Amino acid sequence: MSFSHLAHTLFPPSVRLPDILLIDVGLVLAGLGILGLLTKTRRWGWLWREWLTTVDHKKIAVMYMIAALVMLLRGGIDAEMLRAQLAAPGAHFMPASQYDEVFTTHGTIMIFFMAMPFIFALFNAVVPLMIGARDVAFPRLNAMSYWLFAAGAILFNLSFIIGGSPNAGWTGYPPYSELLFNPGPGENYYFLSLLIAGMGTTMTGINFLVTIVRMRAPGMTLMRMPLFIWSAMVTSALVLFAFPPLTVALAMSLFDRVFGSSFFTLAHGGMPMMYVNLFWLFGHPEVYILVIPLFGVFSEVVATFSKKQLFGYPIMVVSILAIMFLSYGTWVHHFFTMGAGPGVNVFFGLSTMLIAIPTGVKIFNWIFTMWGGRVQYTVAMLYQLAFIPTFVIGGATGVLLAVVPADYQFHNSYFLIAHFHNVIIGGTLFGLLSALYYWWPKMFGMKLNEQQGKWAFWLFFIGFWVTFTPQYLLGLKGMTRRIYTYPSGLGWHNLNVISTVGALIMGAGFVVLVFNLVWSYVYGERDLTGDPWDGRTLEWSLPSPVPEYNFARIPVVHSRDAWWDMKQKGQSLAALRPEDVHDIEMPKNSPIPFLLGVAFFVVGFGMTFKWWPIVIVGGLGIVLCLLFTGFDYDDHHHLQADTVRQSEASLGRLQG
Amino acid sequence: MSETNQALTAEQAYQEDNDSALGFLKPQFHEEKFPTVQIWGYIGSLVLTFAAYLLVMNHVLPPVALLSVILTLAVIQAGLQLGVFMHLKEGRGLAWQLIPLYLVFLIAIGMVGMSIWIMLFKSGVS
Repeated sequence: MSFSHLAHTLFPPSVRLPDILLIDVGLVLAGLGILGLLTKTRRWGWLWREWLTTVDHKKIAVMYMIAALVMLLRGGIDAEMLRAQLAAPGAHFMPASQYDEVFTTHGTIMIFFMAMPFIFALFNAVVPLMIGARDVAFPRLNAMSYWLFAAGAILFNLSFIIGGSPNAGWTGYPPYSELLFNPGPGENYYFLSLLIAGMGTTMTGINFLVTIVRMRAPGMTLMRMPLFIWSAMVTSALVLFAFPPLTVALAMSLFDRVFGSSFFTLAHGGMPMMYVNLFWLFGHPEVYILVIPLFGVFSEVVATFSKKQLFGYPIMVVSILAIMFLSYGTWVHHFFTMGAGPGVNVFFGLSTMLIAIPTGVKIFNWIFTMWGGRVQYTVAMLYQLAFIPTFVIGGATGVLLAVVPADYQFHNSYFLIAHFHNVIIGGTLFGLLSALYYWWPKMFGMKLNEQQGKWAFWLFFIGFWVTFTPQYLLGLKGMTRRIYTYPSGLGWHNLNVISTVGALIMGAGFVVLVFNLVWSYVYGERDLTGDPWDGRTLEWSLPSPVPEYNFARIPVVHSRDAWWDMKQKGQSLAALRPEDVHDIEMPKNSPIPFLLGVAFFVVGFGMTFKWWPIVIVGGLGIVLCLLFTGFDYDDHHHLQADTVRQSEASLGRLQG
Repeated sequence: MSETNQALTAEQAYQEDNDSALGFLKPQFHEEKFPTVQIWGYIGSLVLTFAAYLLVMNHVLPPVALLSVILTLAVIQAGLQLGVFMHLKEGRGLAWQLIPLYLVFLIAIGMVGMSIWIMLFKSGVS
């Protein structure tokens, strides 16, 4: 292969646009800056010991959260670019090919590389603390999940610098994604990065399911679990069953592109519609994977800030389980217009409407929890209050879309776009931000500034409605999804301008949020009590930030809101007797998860360009990592009781 | 559990939480010295997969016979994986293994069956 050929493969014209070249320069400078800083402050050993090889769920949570915030920035910039292009009729803010790439990366990043890791950040940060455990069930697998996610995310984000971005939409339907019509490496990046990240996600699902079933503190029966734990358990089960169909669909598409098979091709008897079926067999449970954890968050937040027990706990559990089962029976509503018969469409239309019932039950329960309570308007609670009407309206438009004949009009119009942003921003993003403000003190040991947080909240909330209300109307006026540009005179211009202004307001909200995080990290009020919100669940019984071993002594649970109950009885975990502290078995740090991530990245990059020697090297790396970890029995160590006593004493939690 | 202000010991609470029927949930640790069974199971899975692959690629059988053979291979492999990797044989009472298995079959058949139902229209369209 000649040098110029290689250069053209790696840097085709689509990645030599001026804005991308500018970003290239910025990335190189930022990379050099970080390398220089790490070397100058001699932080390489620290980075390796404390972060890259860690198996501590609390540190993995921090890494997930940082990745998710960076991806929120990237996805947000994509969104602003899309809105800039659509602000005026006949605009050419960017070339049409780049527009295709930007809407593809916007969707894929926001779903797979922003929302999912953010949710896993919350699981990692909170689940073991809430159930009174010292770590997750499989700590090393947990680290592997993170590094596989990171490998996938880096591979996906590399695409716009090297080789060209995917451009077939976040769903990657054939024939758009078929080799014949889409010859560049972009779609290979898409399939490979989602496969790699998806493996990590599946492992996370297994890990948290086992953790919650097996590692609860004594006395914490299923019906005494905090609702966030229920939601984490249901989400893990959904992940476990939803990701295999996606993995299969992605792997078969990759075979079509790389090895010349024809599962989903138009020629040789392939069936592109089967990809659509498999994708949504995953995709609909995925929607609930994205929102159920936040139902859990809201259930915790509303009880804490209303100073009341959650209203109707058993009904909440039943409705969350009902959602879990029903969400497997609704996937066809994503492709009613594909043309399956009326029998199929009616069945799935009705099942879709059915799922609104348990969701409605939850909404009432949250409202009744606030009813008669002393509601504190903290930022976390404001997001909860904004979530309820936003999600209800999003859900209601979803029921409109479930009416099959009407869906033939709404399908893939801006009405649909407005609907799913309504539920994903109103449900998922508001929930994530609520959780960020609620659990930040536990994760980092300082409170986020409430005043700045309220600014960010109002910008997000107002910006959201200004952006998406016009999009409902645009959809009804016939504007379709993924449209590059439109002529004037259709009556779309004004509404699009309003929508773009809303997107800018949300962008301002993000800037304020980041300022809030950075400001609070430096000047924020330290959380000295470990219980800044007067919380109800066990994580607030620990100091902030939480010591490595979480609980010096595993608590015994007597009731539903365990920590609240202890406080009412005047008990505390802080008055530990020295003789109650024993040696603690802790998992050992391991470089294997990080190296496994690197190996998967190498395989993914090599296969994107079909450079087989690189694939073989990476594949050997994977096999070696797995063999080594499979026969590595020296995976834990004992934390001496004296070390724990000293640590607890320094936190003022030891008697005598 | 009765309401009591006296703190239970961890062991008592554990006993109250799990009645005798659930006793198997207690963590049981035993280390295999060398995972011989798992390695053979892995090799067996690979052999079965490649057998199916070669049968399809070399067109040695007529379509119906081919489908039945690769389906049989798939069922054998599913059994192998359940037995070797899913701890089906580890004795904690068959009843406890069967309930999740029924659930798995229900979901798998639901997914496959409903997909076939959804995709049936294609024969009328193309």
